Amino acid sequence: MVVFAYSISILLMIFTPVMLAVLLRRRFSVPWFLFLVGVATFIGSQIVHLPLNEWLGDIGLLPAADSQAGPLLWRTALILGLSAGLCEELARTVGYALLRHFRRFEDGVMLGVGHGGIEAMVFGGVQLAASITSLLALQGTDLTTLNLSADQMTALTRQLENLDRSLLWAALPWLERCFAMVIHVILSLLVWRAFAQHKAWYVPLAIVYHAAIDGIVGYIGMQTQSVALSYGMMLLLMAPGLIWVWRVWRKEAGPRPVAASLRAEWRSFVAATRKELLQQWRTKRVIVVAAVFAFIGLFSPLAAKFTPEIIRSVPGAEQFADLIPTPTIADVMTQYVKNLTQFGFMIAILLGMGAIAGEKEKGTAALILSKPMPRWAFVCSKFTAQTLIYIGGFLIAAVCTLYYTWFLFGPVNAGAFLFGNLLLLAWFMTFVAVTLVGSALTRSVGAAAGVGLGGAILLMLAGNLPLFGSMMPGALVAWASQLGLGTSSDPVTANGGAVAMALVIIVICVLGAMAAFERQEL
Amino acid sequence: MSESAIRCEGLTRHYGDVIALQDLNLSVPYGSIFGFLGRNGAGKTTTMRLLVGLGHPTAGRAWIAGVETTNADSFAREKFGYLPQDPAFYSWMTPREYLDYAGRLFEMPAADRKARIEEMLELVGLQDAARRKIGGFSGGMHQRLGIAQALLHRPPVLLLDEPTSSLDPAGRHEVLDLLDRLRGDVTVFFSTHILADVERICDTIAIIHKGQLLLVAGRDELRERYPLNTAVLELDAASPPWSEAFVATLQAEPWITGVTQDQVVLRIVVNDVARARQALLPLVLQQGVVLTRYEWVRPTLEEIFLKVSA
Repeated sequence: MVVFAYSISILLMIFTPVMLAVLLRRRFSVPWFLFLVGVATFIGSQIVHLPLNEWLGDIGLLPAADSQAGPLLWRTALILGLSAGLCEELARTVGYALLRHFRRFEDGVMLGVGHGGIEAMVFGGVQLAASITSLLALQGTDLTTLNLSADQMTALTRQLENLDRSLLWAALPWLERCFAMVIHVILSLLVWRAFAQHKAWYVPLAIVYHAAIDGIVGYIGMQTQSVALSYGMMLLLMAPGLIWVWRVWRKEAGPRPVAASLRAEWRSFVAATRKELLQQWRTKRVIVVAAVFAFIGLFSPLAAKFTPEIIRSVPGAEQFADLIPTPTIADVMTQYVKNLTQFGFMIAILLGMGAIAGEKEKGTAALILSKPMPRWAFVCSKFTAQTLIYIGGFLIAAVCTLYYTWFLFGPVNAGAFLFGNLLLLAWFMTFVAVTLVGSALTRSVGAAAGVGLGGAILLMLAGNLPLFGSMMPGALVAWASQLGLGTSSDPVTANGGAVAMALVIIVICVLGAMAAFERQEL
Repeated sequence: MSESAIRCEGLTRHYGDVIALQDLNLSVPYGSIFGFLGRNGAGKTTTMRLLVGLGHPTAGRAWIAGVETTNADSFAREKFGYLPQDPAFYSWMTPREYLDYAGRLFEMPAADRKARIEEMLELVGLQDAARRKIGGFSGGMHQRLGIAQALLHRPPVLLLDEPTSSLDPAGRHEVLDLLDRLRGDVTVFFSTHILADVERICDTIAIIHKGQLLLVAGRDELRERYPLNTAVLELDAASPPWSEAFVATLQAEPWITGVTQDQVVLRIVVNDVARARQALLPLVLQQGVVLTRYEWVRPTLEEIFLKVSA
């Protein structure tokens, strides 16, 4: 139940911003593009903010991460608040400066939702997922065997105790992120006001307000463990901002355009998905995917089993065969992961690159989008159809591997292997999503392949990022490899952070594809 | 119901420094067949794309059947059927499948959708090809399927971008006949550079040039607006032909603005009708030709178009 409750909380942290953005898009026709700009301003701010905090630690203004003793708490809280305020509000200012044509109240709200939303997804959802999987692994462990300081031990014990509390505790991180998102919307509107009214002093006001909220709430968090006090203070500090927003909204909110009913849009999505699946079938892509995945599924156990025998049968190579250890079930998984990651990655790009770019290139998109089909439905139907086909592909590969491994090597743990395949599917779908962005951004299939390949390489390189590298989708491959076919007694390190990060990357990529496509002329 | 089937207010589209469309204000009455005339690159397709929401205006707004189409919402698209200049279809589908897909997007109930698809296939003469893949269709068949998909959901407004440009004479005739039959029931907004098509079926005409709307008028009103300033001279079969020197002489006259020759027929557009009525016939008679026709007429649509968009 704990896992279920926290999983819901993580999913809420990832999807609440998306739901808010959907609401803004539908009610006020705010372009998706602004959500992505909000995401970009957050990422841009953190590129400066994180090294800045590290530097402040180096010069002694902030306690270093591994230091037990630090300067006065209030000073730490204030400096942290100021550094966050400066970096994030200045990033927002740059965003508004570049967006000269977006000066509506609702545009400011969407920017705030994008900025706070990605923070909720990464610093909320991903980090909670990483923490929860680590804590669950530590449950029942003798903590004294861990090399921890007294402070670390106290913090860890408290976190483990929280897991045993009421399941409603799982909603607290989500609630906190909701408060943070509201604050981001207020701050975004303050900076928006600076541009809309040509009153530059709103920017320093936003910085001071941000610093005050972060500093005070941070100080309370360091001083006390009272959740009620922390959350109450957050609400109290939000109140003046909310009152101001309410007053501005009553003056500035634009008229609500007439939007298509959600039911009608949903039906368009279903019709488009049906067409996509039919297209995949008629153009033989389903068969290509099934054949490739079946080949991977069959080849992996066969290659693991017979490679030594094949080498032994090659004249002159007999001595090398003796160097190869007797094949085991673990070798099957090594082969399987290797084949999937090599071929699968190429398939994701090759079959996905033309999804949108191909239709733009041929002109079919223009005709179909002159009908009541929202662009989000067009983009999402492509991703949904690909997801369904790859789920089928992974199932085929998994069943083939399970059957042949059982036949050649003996019993295996199907549950562990299928779970590992689910992780590999999540990893794989990040490449499908990145390719979808490439396909939406460009007007030719070749260019889409280039962008998709570049994005995929970046995604792989992201595994080397400090702090977040271990939570990048590449870590899912390592986790799946550890799970193997469930026959090893070695401990498996779960990595919920990587699962959540893969989900966040997929969500952001699909939204990015929608945002890019929505702005294009056909 | 709003007063206009199509309404544009200040519709503008710039591509960098290029002005594709500038401040288009237009109102198309319900039930009319509206010809949107312009040379290649005049801004006809840009206007169409902005009207149906495929392009984003630099400024201005547009409404079809009272619903705004320039705000990127898909809601308005139920109000019109659209045929682009070069309609592109999924080559792996059959026309029946394509129409079924389109019908689903318009939320047509299954029974109605099925009946309407057959009706449309019959209307555009694609019944025999209903089971064939679209990939093997000719240009004319594409165009006919394009018309079928535009009419499928019984829209009150039909926007057709150069619907006859890729058709052979028989195909053109059929399409124009089809549009003529829709008169009164459906508002047809129809862009073209083929003046004969406009002359044949349009009751209202707009001329656009270099992104600017130059005029809007009823077809007959437009021709009435221009005086009887064109002399038509037709030679008898037994007469010697028009000499090049004579045509050159005419073109050199200050009261003549244009001379066009179609074998035995000369059309002479003048800017001083009184002087022309006195001077033209003596000039002709000096040539020793025999005329079967000498008539003062109003300019053709082509002449008006060339004059307006000069």
